[in-house]
Amino acid sequence: MNFDAARLILPLSSQEATVIETLQSKLDALRVSRCERLAWSESYEEMLSQLGQSGFLEQVIKPGEYFPDFMLPSAEGQLLSLAAFLAHGPVIISFFRGEWCPFCRLMLAALTEALPQISAAGATLLALTPETGGLALKMKTYHGAPFEILADVDCGIGLAAGVVFKIPPKYRALLGPNFPDRHGNSGWYLPIPASFILSQDGRIAWRFADVDFSHRPEPADIIRAVANMNGKL
Amino acid sequence: MELSQVRYFIALCKTLNFTRAADSCNVTQPAFTRAIQKLEMEFGGALIFRERNLTQLTELGRAVRPHLEAMIEAAEAATALANAKMGRTTSSLKIGLGPGIGAVSIASAVREVTSKLPDVTIHFEEAGPAALIEAMLMDSLDCALLPETTELPERLNRWPLYTDRALAVLPPNHGLIQKNAVNAADVVAEPILMGENCGGFAKQLADATGFSLQLQRCNGAATQLLELVAAGLGMALMSERLRYAAPLTTRPFHEPELNRRIFLTSVAGRPLNLAAASFVKLCRVKDFS
Repeated sequence: MNFDAARLILPLSSQEATVIETLQSKLDALRVSRCERLAWSESYEEMLSQLGQSGFLEQVIKPGEYFPDFMLPSAEGQLLSLAAFLAHGPVIISFFRGEWCPFCRLMLAALTEALPQISAAGATLLALTPETGGLALKMKTYHGAPFEILADVDCGIGLAAGVVFKIPPKYRALLGPNFPDRHGNSGWYLPIPASFILSQDGRIAWRFADVDFSHRPEPADIIRAVANMNGKL
Repeated sequence: MELSQVRYFIALCKTLNFTRAADSCNVTQPAFTRAIQKLEMEFGGALIFRERNLTQLTELGRAVRPHLEAMIEAAEAATALANAKMGRTTSSLKIGLGPGIGAVSIASAVREVTSKLPDVTIHFEEAGPAALIEAMLMDSLDCALLPETTELPERLNRWPLYTDRALAVLPPNHGLIQKNAVNAADVVAEPILMGENCGGFAKQLADATGFSLQLQRCNGAATQLLELVAAGLGMALMSERLRYAAPLTTRPFHEPELNRRIFLTSVAGRPLNLAAASFVKLCRVKDFS
């Protein structure tokens, strides 16, 4: 994978090599390697500046607010409701960009690895993707993900959560003309890869939101946040 | 962007009047205007022309409207479904099935919808593509499965579901039962029953090979045609996604591959009821392979 190539380019200090690698350090290495391609770095910068200037993050739903209630199709074709999961404990909702996104793959791998601790903390993890046509199942199978991946068809819940944006022109060119087939619509929208932790009443207790898709929450931070919540309950 | 901004924009699309649109959204006009401006900033251009006596959508506004409407509907349907009281939502799910397209592939999606909305009445309608398209446009069908060969009007949304392959459907004791798979040379001298509900595979075979096949025309429902196959009148080439009961036997058909892509279609821009919206979503997400 490209990630391995990036690791060869990035010199690791002996100190770094001995500590456990964080998700963010892997994401950073991937970003550095991708940025070597001018078309990629330009489209990345364009997206960051567009979302930064429009005050995008102010629109994302915040701690204290209720997360929109939903029932969505799972990768396996069941209709699953948020309420049913909240009945068992806190719910972590992570928005993903799609099966094609290498940054999402790194995060999914990290979450898959962290799932036993998330479950031990009493929380349920739900991954939301805007993709259709069997791609949610493909993503789940690829990672052997032991959590539900739900398809947020036409980005409805993403819109209600304030995480959806129109993809800027350069990034659209990078994604290619067949990209709309993945969503089953020609709208060219994506969610920012935000994560939310909901307490059992459906309110947001914690969130991670960044317009930079190469920035993701560390699973360790998510687990800590869930543990803190349980302490407060 | 925010759900409320998109709601305001859609209200404005419908009224083309800032005052009335703001009223219909229960929001003050300055707040309404600010929300539209924020949306325009995010889209990087004007969505609305504002002139003294004329408010009109710009080209950009017209281009983004259908997707934003679809997004709002998706959000509302996902929330409405979560809030639907079991057994208290009476609605119907009306699905059209094009020629030779069975309900086997979509049965699990229908089951999932009825498990959440138990009072839903299911209607299937088997007919030719033109009749199904007409029924969708007249709002007497929610959606339809149609083969790719159908010319679809612009007003229909379409999503590819799966590739439908042909099987050789054989009468009892037919010689070809001995073979693991059947090819064009095997059937050139065999009587083949062909009707409007056979999916056009026999014609595809004739076109692809140039063979003059022994075609026996038989119009009517697929079940009746299959009765004739069972009676030994001839074989048939039909979808692998139909169920064939004894005494019929099926064999895969290769050389040439006979297949057609099947699309799910529904009228663009027309909100579907909860059952139909959920069904369409499930089908769009599903891996049919």
